Amino acid sequence: MVRTYAFPGLLALAVFYGLLQVGTQVQIFRAPMGAIFVLFALGGAALALWSWRLLPRTRTTSLGLALFTLPLLAGPLLPTTLAWLPLAGVFLAYAGCRARLPERDAAAFWGWVFVWPALALMLIWNIFPSFFALWISLFDRFNFIGESRFVGLLNYQILSRDPLFWRALANTFWYVVFTVPTGIVLGTVVAILLNERIRGLGFYRTVYFLPYITALTAAAAVWQWIYHPEFGFLNWLLGTPGFDWLHTPEGIFALALAPFGVELTGFWAGPSVAFTAIMIMTVWHFLGYNIVILLAGLQSIPSQYYEAAELDGAGWWQMQRHITWPLLSPTTFFLAIIGLIGAFQVFTQVYVMTPTGGVLNDTLTVAMYLYNKGFRDSDFSYASALAVTMFVIILALTLIQRRVLERRVTYEH
Amino acid sequence: MSTRLRRLLGRVFIYAVLTAGAVVMAFPFYWMLATSVKSPQEAQQAAPIWFPERIQPANWRTAWRLGAEGDRPWWGGFAPGREVTLFIAVENPAAGAPRARVPKPPAVFSDPRSEATRIRIETRKGGWAVHLKNTSQQRFATLPLVVWIPKEAGRFRAELPPDAVRSQRGYWRLEWENVAPGWFGYLFHNYREAWHAAPFGRYFYVSFVTAGTQVLGGLLIATMAAFAFARIRFPGREAVFLLFVATMMIPGEVLLIPNYILLAKLHWLDTFYALIVPWLASVFGIFLLRQFFLSLPQDLFDAARIDGASYWGMLWRIAFPLAVPGLITYGIFAFLGAYNALLWPLIVTQSPEMRTIQVGLQAFIGEAGSDYGQLMAASTMAILPIVLGYFFAQRHFIQGIARSGIK
Repeated sequence: MVRTYAFPGLLALAVFYGLLQVGTQVQIFRAPMGAIFVLFALGGAALALWSWRLLPRTRTTSLGLALFTLPLLAGPLLPTTLAWLPLAGVFLAYAGCRARLPERDAAAFWGWVFVWPALALMLIWNIFPSFFALWISLFDRFNFIGESRFVGLLNYQILSRDPLFWRALANTFWYVVFTVPTGIVLGTVVAILLNERIRGLGFYRTVYFLPYITALTAAAAVWQWIYHPEFGFLNWLLGTPGFDWLHTPEGIFALALAPFGVELTGFWAGPSVAFTAIMIMTVWHFLGYNIVILLAGLQSIPSQYYEAAELDGAGWWQMQRHITWPLLSPTTFFLAIIGLIGAFQVFTQVYVMTPTGGVLNDTLTVAMYLYNKGFRDSDFSYASALAVTMFVIILALTLIQRRVLERRVTYEH
Repeated sequence: MSTRLRRLLGRVFIYAVLTAGAVVMAFPFYWMLATSVKSPQEAQQAAPIWFPERIQPANWRTAWRLGAEGDRPWWGGFAPGREVTLFIAVENPAAGAPRARVPKPPAVFSDPRSEATRIRIETRKGGWAVHLKNTSQQRFATLPLVVWIPKEAGRFRAELPPDAVRSQRGYWRLEWENVAPGWFGYLFHNYREAWHAAPFGRYFYVSFVTAGTQVLGGLLIATMAAFAFARIRFPGREAVFLLFVATMMIPGEVLLIPNYILLAKLHWLDTFYALIVPWLASVFGIFLLRQFFLSLPQDLFDAARIDGASYWGMLWRIAFPLAVPGLITYGIFAFLGAYNALLWPLIVTQSPEMRTIQVGLQAFIGEAGSDYGQLMAASTMAILPIVLGYFFAQRHFIQGIARSGIK
């Protein structure tokens, strides 16, 4: 039935009209506003008329449709504070005829009413901004002050040769290579042990989980104190007084191989000592999350498998290798993807522990670089180009990872 | 026999590994708490101090007495007309005369507290008693003290351990940040100092309002959308749902700059709107609650519909009460996310009045400098609400995380 579409159409038009009004008020769009308002007026009038012919005709419904149409016809002349009037009109129109509407049409109305608050927020704060980011990345220094020049892909071109961007990408790469496997292996070990029907499960789980819910800002402050060169606990423990963990830009591979006369530079020098220190802190912070997820994964493996294996004389290691590991692989896969995406978003701990991005930018991450470019240097365009590039990389990696791993992942169902 | 032994060894191994791991995981927390009750000199020792003076019950008793003498036994103070007596035992009290002074804050010309305090040192058997009397009409919250002890007097031991001991020519210079602390005033000295050093009360207020509104508003919006997706057949449902799924692919960083520009145009920067509104709609919450609503039997809704219930009524009377576990899970996540966030509030707020606790803590890290005791006290305060919440709703936390992992 065509009539089912009447209310969704009216609702959509009313919401978009409100958005348009507010958008005009704050001058977000640079478009021929008059023409858009005329289109809304014409479309609104047509839609109202069409609905009026289709819907059960009561006085309230007609009144509601009129209330819907008149503000649309008034267009930009209507004060923004009354931009909700068309929406009120739609509700009034529904109230007038709801007793005579079939189930289908009522569902269409209520479904959209329930979805619109979330949808409108998503449109304003997620979907529109995504395109807006793409758009401003095509300009030369988009800002609030003056007109900016359209420069096409220039920002992306500059980005591709930006040494700091490559530094941030290299750090992200090392971050993934180090923290994701470490987190998964440690998490799996602890989860398997916790799953062995031990006493004090709640206690251990709490201890392992607590770091994850503590705010990264506070956790980073604590670790900064542990890494303190003069009074830090770690230097006392390792007997390395004065070693400044967070201000040592040498790569760890370079340091490790230096005694053997091997000199590594650039990317192959590996993550800096400072960044490694931050990575250790991050593994500590996220381990609890991995453990809880893996424990849930373990508990969903039917115990018959183990019982059958035990009857066949399999040892503990064999059971872990041939039952636990394959059946846990969807969970591991999930954690790998989460870790990969998270790597591009590492910000808080780096910002707190090395506010300037470390010595020689050795702890720079993509998110940190984005923050610096956008909000320290006020270069919104370049930062947006960075953000869009990051989006594309994450998307590509996720898809690749999914394809590569999916073949090796065993799904239960 | 050998299998039993092996099993036993296996158990021992499991507990050993788990405990070792737990020690590593818990150590930063212990270190944070321990440092938060250390004086700067204790914190800055080359070898770590495991049990700071301020957590030792013997000192609590003295602190309680000194606080009571000054004003109140719990939080101390130095009220008009009160006299505080601190005894310092030394090997040889006759060897020389000690000096005492209430130090002025640096770069202050006149300090009422040090002028109002009359100091009298009395030589007793085995040491000196330092009497401090408040001769003014004013009450002071803390009473700092410096005492110089001649080195010839030999080994010394003060009733309340000094916060710092330094060598100054022929004297030991003993420093107390507060000699009338009271029990809590002694134990939580750094907490009190940190609380007054930055407007943490305001930071907490901003954080709680932000997180609370996000949870309540987010719950309302997500419940409605999730119910529509799960239980109402309306044209365009699949398309909208697909759109929502697609937005999950967008990393949050992409939105930082456009949303900042949008907020600037709305003149919403540095307001609660900027902290709350962009995060109200959560696809995660909608998915989670949709799963919950889908798991409820359809007959329930059909029956209600036949009885003439409206969709609005079905949502709030039937679906909502049955989805409470899901709502709690989502609420915890939304609260955690809002409370622990740093990047977004850092970007959209400028004035100290609009800082959330994390931004405030981050600023405090820069300002506190080398006073790690205060810094750790501030960090403890920042994580305390979440940790307390965890102990109250442990099950929901764990289940919520586990649930978020399984689709």
